Amino acid sequence: MVSRRNNLIVLALVVVLLGVAAYFIFIDEPVTKSTQLGLDLQGGVSAQLKGSQTGGGKVTRQEMEQSADLIRQRIDRLGVSEPDVRVQSENQIVVQIPGVKNPEEVIRIIGSTAQLGFYQVLASDPSLTEAPQVVAAEEVDKTEEDIRANLQDDDAYKEGRTKILFEETPSPDGKGTSVIGYIVHKNPDLTGDALKQNGANVEFDQTTGKRIVSLELTSEGGRQMGELTQNMLADAAASGEPARLAIALDQDIQSAPTVQEPLGQNISISNDGLPNGLPEDEAKQLETVLNTGALPVNMQVISETTVGPTLGFSSLKSGLLASVVGFGLVLLLLLVIYRALGVVADVALLIYAFLLWGLIVIIPITVTLPGIAGIVLSIGVAADANVVIFERIKEEIRRGKTPRSAIQAGYDKGYRAILDGNITTLITAFILFALSSGSVRGFAVLLAIGVVLSMFTAIVITRALLGLLSDRGIHLSPAMMGVSKASISAAQQARAK
Amino acid sequence: MFEKIDFVGGWKLYFSLSAVLLLAGVVAIALGGLNFGIDFRGGAQFTVANAERHLSDEQVRAALPEDLAGESVVTTMGQNGYEVRTPVISSQQEQSQVRDSLSRAFGGEVSVTTVSPAFGQQLRNQALQAVVAALIIIVAFISFRFEFAFALAAMAALVHDILMTVGFYAIVGREVSLVTVVAVLTVLGYSIYDTIIIFDRIRENAPTVGYNRRRFDEMINRSIRQVVRRSIYTSIFTLIPITALLIFGEATLSDFAFALLVGIVAGTYSSIFIASPVLSLYKAWRAGKLQAARST
Repeated sequence: MVSRRNNLIVLALVVVLLGVAAYFIFIDEPVTKSTQLGLDLQGGVSAQLKGSQTGGGKVTRQEMEQSADLIRQRIDRLGVSEPDVRVQSENQIVVQIPGVKNPEEVIRIIGSTAQLGFYQVLASDPSLTEAPQVVAAEEVDKTEEDIRANLQDDDAYKEGRTKILFEETPSPDGKGTSVIGYIVHKNPDLTGDALKQNGANVEFDQTTGKRIVSLELTSEGGRQMGELTQNMLADAAASGEPARLAIALDQDIQSAPTVQEPLGQNISISNDGLPNGLPEDEAKQLETVLNTGALPVNMQVISETTVGPTLGFSSLKSGLLASVVGFGLVLLLLLVIYRALGVVADVALLIYAFLLWGLIVIIPITVTLPGIAGIVLSIGVAADANVVIFERIKEEIRRGKTPRSAIQAGYDKGYRAILDGNITTLITAFILFALSSGSVRGFAVLLAIGVVLSMFTAIVITRALLGLLSDRGIHLSPAMMGVSKASISAAQQARAK
Repeated sequence: MFEKIDFVGGWKLYFSLSAVLLLAGVVAIALGGLNFGIDFRGGAQFTVANAERHLSDEQVRAALPEDLAGESVVTTMGQNGYEVRTPVISSQQEQSQVRDSLSRAFGGEVSVTTVSPAFGQQLRNQALQAVVAALIIIVAFISFRFEFAFALAAMAALVHDILMTVGFYAIVGREVSLVTVVAVLTVLGYSIYDTIIIFDRIRENAPTVGYNRRRFDEMINRSIRQVVRRSIYTSIFTLIPITALLIFGEATLSDFAFALLVGIVAGTYSSIFIASPVLSLYKAWRAGKLQAARST
């Protein structure tokens, strides 16, 4: 009777566990919120960025952490909810943002190094004095090549000491992009260090009413700017060409106004070509990246996934449908093959599934599409642990053992095989986790948890249930366990030989 | 069950059956049958959900910029889903334009995935590393729990399963993505599990002293007969949910399920018809060598 009491205690504990799981799944938070869904199921943007030094040097962990911090600030300033920004491996950052309407723009903002530079324009594409070239979007690259070839013949171009930067702006009629090329010094004449903290602001020009981004420099920055523009004006007076100051973010010129008199602490980025000045979102982007400051390393987007809510929902729906159908069929088949034992296995599997859900909510694990695949696979693993033991039990019964001792023997012998088998699956899961990133990890984590939990259900719960079932009060015939009389006699004959 | 089948003695038949299938796979791979997805090659993939209009290949291409249209692949997914794969797109701006124009053309929601070629390279290396690491660690584990002969036999079965899955992919021409690699690794774990269950029984039935080829082979046959039912049931229990994934799951899930389906069938076959005969043959070869050494 001792074993019976033990079995009851085990089952009571399982009921407590189920209660805990139910509490976290349904009561602690509404069920639609308690389970965290990955971006591939709820929609959103995820991007992987790779950091590098300009000279090709090594990127430190600290620089990556700092970059992640800045990226987080930029996203916050965009007013986007719950971003997840993490440093991964030595030089990568993973950014995940649920539900974003304009993903490309967000990625452009988080990925730009945002190194602000002021350059004296040494020469520009001749077309600047006339109307700039307006071309269709897909021809921008080609046009820039043409302009580059043209400018490289200019006297001001000195290989190694100067470089060519471009300014691309949407043309006023909205039908194309105007492209202007400039020759400037290789290094900025003045860098973003000159900008005062939170010195960039979206404003409207007082005289023209056009949208601009005003930049307020530090006093030291203002002094240097004064010096730079003074020199530029002197050069301009000598050459007769107007002095232009190019304001560049990374390698893109934002604006290149003509300088009439030496500038001080206050300058602005504007676009006089468009009727309303800078487009609103562009101005906002500039303000954001300039105020959060430059990233300490160059960032390159190496992969990006944008999932719309419709696609996410349909993936979720199909994944759930597949899991439920698969699970239902497994339960049914266990019943057909193992009869009374099948009932036990089904109860154990249902408990397994519910506890797995509970763990997913409590830990919490974000469920992704590959994660669902992991869960589905673990259903098979969990069913299998029962199959291994049941086949052992049936074998013992064929040898003429009573159900009770057959169950005992079946467990003792099946246990080792299950342990070895599950350890190898765990090894695969760990390797997957260690050597991969992102969504694959979700699969590995769920597979590992599924395997451990399935061992727990097979070895603890199924055993306790079977223990009760094989108790004296209940009579189990071999047929009830799916063992036919014929197979028993066949086994006995085989042994007699 | 299977009283009549000689699992060990019939190895020539089983091996040649596998050899024919593997050869077909190798030929398909050699002919360039492996269709690598953007995960490994780099590029962009636009997925259209809930499209209001059904467009022909030509119409889709017309919506793409000229330089991409030629090299893009359009596939339909389900009733009103489309997938458009293009080469690498250089700027966020252009990507956003492609997305908008596809969205206008189809009248549906467009999701995007892009992978840079450098990252694809990294993924490919990681995937290879993972497979090799898994093989080494598993062999070490089996050598530790069993003995080297068992590890060698298990290894033969594993290599068989990997080649079979990859070969089948090449024959069918399905897209190979990161998910495929995950599936292959899972197949590895599954196949080894299956093999271990059989080996565990062989170990249990093996006589503690003396080796006699006839007795040993008979013992293997007996062990397989004892567990073959379990092997088949387990395959069925695993294949049911996987088949459900293949039928009901979309895109990623169905790709994953396909690789698992092939791998698990191959894995079940190989634990019975490859791993066990290899174990027997290796044991016999070792015994022959030992005897030869003793007699000289």
